[in-house]
Amino acid sequence: MQVYKAFFKVILKNRTQILIYLVVFMALALILSGAYNPPQDTDFTKVKVNIAFINDDGDSQLVAGLKTYLGENANLVAIPDDTKKLQDALFFRQVEYILRVPAGFTEDMLNGKEVQLEKTTVPDSTSNIYMDLLINKYLNTVKTYTTYLPGLSQDELSQNLEKDLAEQSEVTMISNGTHSIYAEKSGYYFNYLSYSLFAILILGVCSVMLVFNDTDLKRRNLCSPIRSANMNMQMVLGNISFAILTWLVLISASFIMYGSFMFTATGLLLLLNSFVFTLAVLSISYLIGNLVKSRGAMSAIANVFALGTSFISGVFVPQELLGANVLTIASFTPTYWYVKANNEITAAVSFNTDNLSSIFTSMVLVLAFGVAVLGVTLVLIKQRRVES
Amino acid sequence: MVINVKNLVKRYGNLIALDHFNLEVQEGEILGLLGPNGSGKTTAINCILSLLKYDKGTIEIYDQPMSPEAYAIKRNIGVVMQNVAVFNELTVYENIDYFCGLYVSDKQTRKKLVAEAIDFVGLNDFKKFYPKKLSGGLLRRLNIACGIAHKPKLIILDEPTVAVDPQSRNNILEGIMELNRQGATIIYTSHYMEEIEQICSRIAIMDKGKIIAMGTNEDLKKMIKSGEHINLELLNPEELELSEIKSLPHVISAELTDHQLVVKSSRGKNNLIMILDHLKDQNIGIGKIYSEPPTLNDVFLEITGKELRD
Repeated sequence: MQVYKAFFKVILKNRTQILIYLVVFMALALILSGAYNPPQDTDFTKVKVNIAFINDDGDSQLVAGLKTYLGENANLVAIPDDTKKLQDALFFRQVEYILRVPAGFTEDMLNGKEVQLEKTTVPDSTSNIYMDLLINKYLNTVKTYTTYLPGLSQDELSQNLEKDLAEQSEVTMISNGTHSIYAEKSGYYFNYLSYSLFAILILGVCSVMLVFNDTDLKRRNLCSPIRSANMNMQMVLGNISFAILTWLVLISASFIMYGSFMFTATGLLLLLNSFVFTLAVLSISYLIGNLVKSRGAMSAIANVFALGTSFISGVFVPQELLGANVLTIASFTPTYWYVKANNEITAAVSFNTDNLSSIFTSMVLVLAFGVAVLGVTLVLIKQRRVES
Repeated sequence: MVINVKNLVKRYGNLIALDHFNLEVQEGEILGLLGPNGSGKTTAINCILSLLKYDKGTIEIYDQPMSPEAYAIKRNIGVVMQNVAVFNELTVYENIDYFCGLYVSDKQTRKKLVAEAIDFVGLNDFKKFYPKKLSGGLLRRLNIACGIAHKPKLIILDEPTVAVDPQSRNNILEGIMELNRQGATIIYTSHYMEEIEQICSRIAIMDKGKIIAMGTNEDLKKMIKSGEHINLELLNPEELELSEIKSLPHVISAELTDHQLVVKSSRGKNNLIMILDHLKDQNIGIGKIYSEPPTLNDVFLEITGKELRD
């Protein structure tokens, strides 16, 4: 195992550079993910909209029913029926919705005719939609009765309307867990981890490959009685050991910070995702290691690749904030799928077939990247061997 | 026989690097491959070590065909490359241990062998040094230690003294002779004829991918007409008729540069006395006189018509 041992001696000789990346980026990841405060969950409270109700139809049970129904779901503000005053009320947000019941409304409704209510609203107000829904609900219910039970008196109609509109549906939240505060924090940490992982693996693997790909050393090794396949196997073993070691060091911080959370389904999926990503990054580092010819180029590529992919893939800026074109380009990098899977894992309160299939699809894509790049590297190595 | 190379042909496109190259190396000898740069020495070594594919011919080492997969043969070979091939990230000790470990798996045996190799090349004080901290001479010694630590039966050294100071060069050459005394067969390539003359028991002179002459130092010098170079410092060279010197018996050539007369003569008795008598007759005063035997350069010059160092 001379090659394997030499592999780690070369890594150790480059430890300062690798440790700088490790320590700086781990510290950065810890600080940034620690500083992140997830938004607090808020309970749903029904907000009542201020509306003005102007009746041009006269007193009828149907109009009174509409007014009562709206009054239960909105604040009825009394404003004189004066155009200027009504406009002022809208402008100063005294009301957000003015509903005018036209003359003949009751008669038309009872006769099953098309009825048009007049409304004046604040532009782009969400209350507008809410009020429309309430009014349509009332009118549609009236229309249902007048269509199918045309002989109903106004009194009976009002009673039925009151009864029907008072019906409430009960909604139950189906959930098998609560969203831990560590979920999003750890998500951030694991996203940042991709950057340090890329930088460290490229530097480590490249620094060893640069040494072992040196023509003179390669020829000298070929003179020895060790089979080339054996030497290559030791190199592969060295690369995998180094990658796993780096991964273990990086994930150890997550255990320190998030403790038992890392043993939950979310934590374990994050670990699995980062491990799959480590294999893909190792494969890419191996390719770069076979392409670079100097230490200068190695450092440059490590920085450009690690930073570049992190920026476009949503490590530093959330994917939701990135443009469609950027994300399309990013989808050709494993970092994008890794971050996507991380985001899905941390966003999920519970895991089911739907979200798990999406998460595992991303992981498979990351793994496919690794396999494809490894294939390209092996072809490249074989071609070089034939050429030399 | 240790090495038997027959009709080896190696082409790089239209260039023939080895042209029906033949070589036989006997056990216990130091065979010197001498030739100018580009004569095919390193190509021959690379083919023998199966580092290069060749177009034609056969190579046998210890009566077994040599190939990249001939691991049993490779186990008996020590290689010292022309370029220093060591890990800059490993110390002197770790480097020797690495290369020795490619041949010797037992840790205890290896420890002993590495210590002996370090002792042999005199790097005891530099065991923990990294190669970048070593001088050119020490680096070459490390390169040699990496090649010989496993005590191979056959050692191939490809120009191991390039860019080495004279003192280190002598140390290296003495070391190589010591390895030979310990029983190793050695192939030594160089374009320094003095080194080859100093250590090799047999010499093969190469040019244009072929061995053009082979034999011991003495054998090679006997092959040529040149007997000796007589150098004379003349006090009044203006009196000299160079053509008369050239017409003397056994004189091959005569050149006068300022006060220095160089006469190249073929093998024969009393060459110097005849020249001195002639100069005395011409009343030409003489300062210093010295005579040199022919060199391998003369051998090369006479066979190829060009200097070895061209």
